[in-house]
Amino acid sequence: MLYRSALNRAIDECMEEDESVVILGEDVGRYGGSYRVSEGLISKYSEKRVIDTPIAELSIVGNAIGMAIAGLRPIAEIMTENFSLLAMDQIINHASKLRYMSGGKMTIPMVVRMPGGVSRQLAAQHSESYETLYSSVPGLIVLSASNATYAYYGLKWAIKSNDPVIFLEHELLYPMEMEFKEINDFDPFRAEIVKVGKDLTILTYLKMRYDVLEAEKDLAKKGIDAEIIDLNSLRPLDIETIASSIKKTKKCVIVEEDHKTGGMGAEVVAQIMEKCFFDLDAPVLRIAGEDVPIPYNRKLELSVIPTPEKIVSKILKWKAENGI
Amino acid sequence: MEYKVVMPVLSDTMDKGKLTKWYVKEGQFVKEGDKIAEVESDKATMDIQTFKSGVVKKLLVKEGDEVPVKSVIAIIDTQAKEVKNEKLKVKSDKQIKNEKLKMENDERKKNNELKIENEENENNKKNFTFSTLHFTLPKGSASPAAKKLAAKHGINIEKLQKENKLQIPAHEEDIKEFILKKYFTPAALKLLKEYQIDENEFRLNHKITKEEILNYIENKNIPKTTPLTPNQKAVIKTVEGALSKPTYFIFNEIEVVKKEGIKLTAVLIKALALAMQKNPLTRSILKVDKLLTYPSSNISVAVARKDGLYMCVIKNAHKKTLQEINEWLKTIKTKRLTLEDLSGSTFGISNLGMFDVKRFTALINDKDVGIAAFGSLIDGKIKVTFTIDHRILNGVEAAKFANDFKTIIKEI
Repeated sequence: MLYRSALNRAIDECMEEDESVVILGEDVGRYGGSYRVSEGLISKYSEKRVIDTPIAELSIVGNAIGMAIAGLRPIAEIMTENFSLLAMDQIINHASKLRYMSGGKMTIPMVVRMPGGVSRQLAAQHSESYETLYSSVPGLIVLSASNATYAYYGLKWAIKSNDPVIFLEHELLYPMEMEFKEINDFDPFRAEIVKVGKDLTILTYLKMRYDVLEAEKDLAKKGIDAEIIDLNSLRPLDIETIASSIKKTKKCVIVEEDHKTGGMGAEVVAQIMEKCFFDLDAPVLRIAGEDVPIPYNRKLELSVIPTPEKIVSKILKWKAENGI
Repeated sequence: MEYKVVMPVLSDTMDKGKLTKWYVKEGQFVKEGDKIAEVESDKATMDIQTFKSGVVKKLLVKEGDEVPVKSVIAIIDTQAKEVKNEKLKVKSDKQIKNEKLKMENDERKKNNELKIENEENENNKKNFTFSTLHFTLPKGSASPAAKKLAAKHGINIEKLQKENKLQIPAHEEDIKEFILKKYFTPAALKLLKEYQIDENEFRLNHKITKEEILNYIENKNIPKTTPLTPNQKAVIKTVEGALSKPTYFIFNEIEVVKKEGIKLTAVLIKALALAMQKNPLTRSILKVDKLLTYPSSNISVAVARKDGLYMCVIKNAHKKTLQEINEWLKTIKTKRLTLEDLSGSTFGISNLGMFDVKRFTALINDKDVGIAAFGSLIDGKIKVTFTIDHRILNGVEAAKFANDFKTIIKEI
């Protein structure tokens, strides 16, 4: 199943099931969505429930919050994570806080979907990832979907959630054909053990999952049996799954596409230190993007984010440096 | 060994249990069936008993605490023997110290209670047990995991590193290796590895010898693990492949005269090779929907070598003299085998005559059309069984081949 079809199916099923589910955003209607996620929905559910908006992110999320307060279940689509900066006041200062500030009288059953990450030569203003930013905000739930299965079940869960969910996608994943697994006991907050291993734990999420899987083939050839964990939920973090893996492997590597300084990995490392410091046999390795705005030139672009080759060489170097 | 006492499920609706009272203390010896704690469920109050004897190593739950069912509440060391009062006293001193630490921790925890509660809600009420340190960390340069292990075994990392006996920085593997060397003799270590026994199965307080491990192996009936050699794997693959062939047997008896200085197998090979020349189908193999018939009598011979069982192929056996075949049989036993030595055959031979076997059946090797299995020479006669691949050779042709062979071997 295509990644974008999984998202489409989740939205379609929710809209069919529940009339209060609406979707709004730039080009979600007549155009079918910038990444074809909302394709076919407008003809099925009319303009009343599939709403094309002006290019104004603050109003997209602001309207969605209003709808949510009034009893709808809006899905707001932001075309690119970078644009969500314009909606930041609505997301952080309103969506995340209203339930608390109203003493629980108002709930915001809203999903804000947005793709982020480095695609292909979209340059600095269309290539960033803000998972660190959102996952540091109390009152928000932040989910990241790296695969069709989680995209489908995760988005369905998010739409039905009574609290605001930031649903992160990745631009390069939309056209990817992926395996779809039926799940009976889906838990959005559970990390996925993608591959069982014994020598070291590699934590990752979103598109980097595929770079890590590619790197793993090389690591296996060198006799390194890595356990790969996809975090799925970034807030809350499934530290339990992470800790039990580290307890077994004693070593941990985090691979993220976002900038290293203050990135998602920084928070994960901090939590690892708190929960399983005495299980570690080496310092945790962070493999992340360079601390620069993403360049336009393709060669430079690739040079500032992790690639399978870089993941392998950095792990080997780290192993050598630490005598493990 | 550690026996873990868990919060029992006392009713079908019970998902948590409250530990109301401990009847035992850490360090205390308990016998199987002893009451160790009182537990309150949603319906009743009951006593928990231990199902194994040993020394209570750790009580993991405080009186008054509520914990989910099936979570571990106490650990009992089943290998520890009953300790004398003196030791108990020392332990309780330690306990007092721990309790003091615990109290301090509790206070700190209380201060953070609000925060932790918040966090717990966020974690979707996932239970996470915070482990409290019950040891002092050794000094020296080592990873946290290494220090934890060293502390458990009272290893002084700093001292060992000064004496150059331990790597700087030390990793968990280094400490493990040190512990193994400290408590096990080299011969014992070898056994541990061979039988894949966890070193923690032994009380690490004395030098453990080979005898102790052998004893353990015998008592627990532990199998020795030997990885398969490439040859064994190849044999398995071949014999499993043979099972997929539609075969039948032909039983026969031949008359042979033993020749001085010539192995009987050489005579059998020569006669078989000549019989093959008269029967082209025995020189054929199947290839998808074609039959390939070769001019040469190439015979695969089952050879038991030091490095395993091999089906060695003698080429052009019909053109070779008995002496040449005899020589080949000698060299093939020890020579370094190449792919050439193991391929290209169309029929096989297996001889167990030297082991006083009357008769047996053999499995067809690789792509061969059949195999002849020979028993012992008794009164100038040998019982032979042909296993034939019916896809290539029908009964009539096989019978003719068997009879040709019978006639030819008389004349050799």
